[in-house]
Amino acid sequence: MSKELRIIGFLCNWCSYGGADTAGVGRFTQPTDLRIVRLPCSGRIDPLFVLKTLTGGADGVLVSGCHPRDCHYSEGNFYARRRLEMVKRFLPVIGIDPGRFEYTWVSASEGQRWQTVVRGFTEQVHALGPIQRFGKDAAAMAAQLAASHA
Amino acid sequence: MSAKYLAQGDLSAWLGALAQGRRVLVPVRENGAVVFRPYGPGTKPVLTRQADSPPKESVFPSTERLMEFSYSKDAENLGKVALDIKETVNAPATVVFGGRPCDARGFTVFDRVYDTKTIRDPYYAERRASTLFVTLACDTPETTCFCNSVGSSPVDADGSDVLLTPVDGGWLVEAVSERGKALLDAPALKDATAAAQDQAKAAKEAAEAAMPPAWDAAPAAAKLLEKFDDMGFWDDVSAKCISCGACTYLCPTCYCFTVTDERSGMKGERIRTWDTCMSFQFTLEASGHNPRPTKAHRLKNRVGHKFSYYPDIHKGPIACCGCGRCIKLCPVSVDIREIVRLAMELPTATAGKP
Amino acid sequence: MPILDELKAAIAKRLPELDVVIGWGKGFDALHHTPVFITSEADLDKLVLGPLSVQNLATYLTRYPKTKKIGVVVKGCDSRSVVQLLQEKLINRENVVVFGFPCEGVVDLEKVKRAFEDQGMEAARVSEASFQGDRCTLTSGGKAGSLPMADLWADKCNRCQYHDAVISDEFVGQRLERKAEDAYADVAAFEAKPLAERQAFWQEQMSRCIRCYACRNACPLCVCRDQCIAQTREPNWVSQRTGVEEKFMFQMIHASHLAGRCTECGECERACPVGIPILLLKRKNNKEILELFDYRAGIDPEAKPPLLAFKVEEEKINERGW
Repeated sequence: MSKELRIIGFLCNWCSYGGADTAGVGRFTQPTDLRIVRLPCSGRIDPLFVLKTLTGGADGVLVSGCHPRDCHYSEGNFYARRRLEMVKRFLPVIGIDPGRFEYTWVSASEGQRWQTVVRGFTEQVHALGPIQRFGKDAAAMAAQLAASHA
Repeated sequence: MSAKYLAQGDLSAWLGALAQGRRVLVPVRENGAVVFRPYGPGTKPVLTRQADSPPKESVFPSTERLMEFSYSKDAENLGKVALDIKETVNAPATVVFGGRPCDARGFTVFDRVYDTKTIRDPYYAERRASTLFVTLACDTPETTCFCNSVGSSPVDADGSDVLLTPVDGGWLVEAVSERGKALLDAPALKDATAAAQDQAKAAKEAAEAAMPPAWDAAPAAAKLLEKFDDMGFWDDVSAKCISCGACTYLCPTCYCFTVTDERSGMKGERIRTWDTCMSFQFTLEASGHNPRPTKAHRLKNRVGHKFSYYPDIHKGPIACCGCGRCIKLCPVSVDIREIVRLAMELPTATAGKP
Repeated sequence: MPILDELKAAIAKRLPELDVVIGWGKGFDALHHTPVFITSEADLDKLVLGPLSVQNLATYLTRYPKTKKIGVVVKGCDSRSVVQLLQEKLINRENVVVFGFPCEGVVDLEKVKRAFEDQGMEAARVSEASFQGDRCTLTSGGKAGSLPMADLWADKCNRCQYHDAVISDEFVGQRLERKAEDAYADVAAFEAKPLAERQAFWQEQMSRCIRCYACRNACPLCVCRDQCIAQTREPNWVSQRTGVEEKFMFQMIHASHLAGRCTECGECERACPVGIPILLLKRKNNKEILELFDYRAGIDPEAKPPLLAFKVEEEKINERGW
């Protein structure tokens, strides 16, 4: 796969973060583009997290929570589902490929599934390539970042 | 130096010459709004009406980096952190072309604040020194124009370096400052005929005559101070204000700023950005107290500063150039002329503190 | 009786029980109306009504304490803002008196400016303007010109489905009972452009933004006002820099916070002093809300807003599997 990209994952504490842990414990190898932010619940995710992250330079954003009906707080992910669907549908109008954002459900026991999700999403983001940032400083910032990685 | 003549057909030739080694900002149309943008081949300047955004950014950018800083940790002693600071002054040679007399005159209000005997703001002063104004005299006023009431006129050269006056087939081009003379040395400019000079003189007189009758804004200084505690008055005149900052950000004379350190990790920058007294945050104190809690307090400050406090501090001049943008572009048509007039006419309910 | 006189009579009738009635009055020139605040019968003379009554006066309702008794004159679109404010319990029904009238539409002053410019006339130098039937006549700089109103109506009026206020305590005049279609063709057309072009579009448009927040402050539903997260330092959503990225971030905040709430009065776009077409972002969200939840904001004060509700099995959201 090409050079590593920046993918940010917002994971709920109870299911998906556990699922990611399970994948690690089970030694299911995954691409390393993903950086995980742990949140109490997918219902905690403000759609602005996604928009700020994508316009702030991330190449992809992945949200994962408990399966519907399995929310630790009963209904957090039901609210999240509507909001996340809205934000996914909003992206095209601002010129961001909706493929750069996915939301899904992974339980704490689904290490294997987590591997599939991360692999699949990373591939999808790589197919789209690095994101084009908003703002006139975008080019300069990209060069700066490339230099700091080198 | 005698006056020159610029034929309409030679406009782009002169602009092209001015743009050699300089940034030339001209008013252009973008989706209905007229804003100042760098001139390039093919740029079509809009010279028929006042630009919606004044050329304020040319000398006073909405965001200006004052300095860059970075921290570096000593590898031997992690408690020891070195701070590296780099001042950044960015003052590109610039010509602002096609602004109106009010636009250029706006900076004279800045000068009394940022470039004085006692205080000299190097960022401002250097850009001011590197920026020249080729101003287009007005012929007919817009409904919101009132420059003649604040000590100016539609053909005022104050703050400009070159003044263009419309005449048959082109413009009469006059240097109105020492710096402006250098700009007239261009092949596109021909020596002006006596007829063209006469025509320009007549055009200027006609422009001044076309203005609505001037009213004297000077007495407002004392009246506004008197109304300082008359909150009933301010509540009334600010009732329709929606507290946005369009009036101040589009004002050629509003010079307020805020300074912020924007830091990311071990490095960052100190920036100066426009601020507006119409915003709640403008006077919000760290304790949570706000001496200007309502829009009435804030509108009082905007009008008071322009027509009372500033003339008081600077011995006369009003901090308003009469361009009328704050009226024209206000979403709800708050009219500063009307507020000043009412302040002068209405009796004061509660006498102001001396 | 002309509608304006009926309106004045209706306001005069209710005025004794009200602290203030908000309507429109003459503005600074022949092409502008401006909000007026009526507190006595004498003020009624200031009242005007017509295609220049562009401002959505519902935006003032939340600027008063909830206990104040306020009357407000509303166009059809403005009345939806009132409904939405009621739904969100931001105003008390018993303290607001809504004056409705059959609204033929308002002009888009930007269109007026451009159309007359094409005739060599400057709207900014207007001395007289009249709107008679389907023509707009303007006098400026000694010249007179006339244009069909069809070219001048605001876009929102051309697709209006609510000419008659959806909520009112006093309705004057004959209801128009007219409805246009709105299939969100503008959104679809924009989204048919290549992605890079769409991004470049916003890049260019937002570069003009002066961050005055007129869009936010004119919005009847942006009620956080002084506490808006765009200006707080903690959290620091938008930095103090005025780059395109920061300015656009605010537009995304505005659009997101209005998802399922925006009534498309278009005040954000109209208020913008530099002509940035930001209503498109809100229309995009509304289009999706309509598709997903078959919901329009500002119609039913008792409705449950879709983003504050859920169904265990969503009919129109596919579970995204991997």
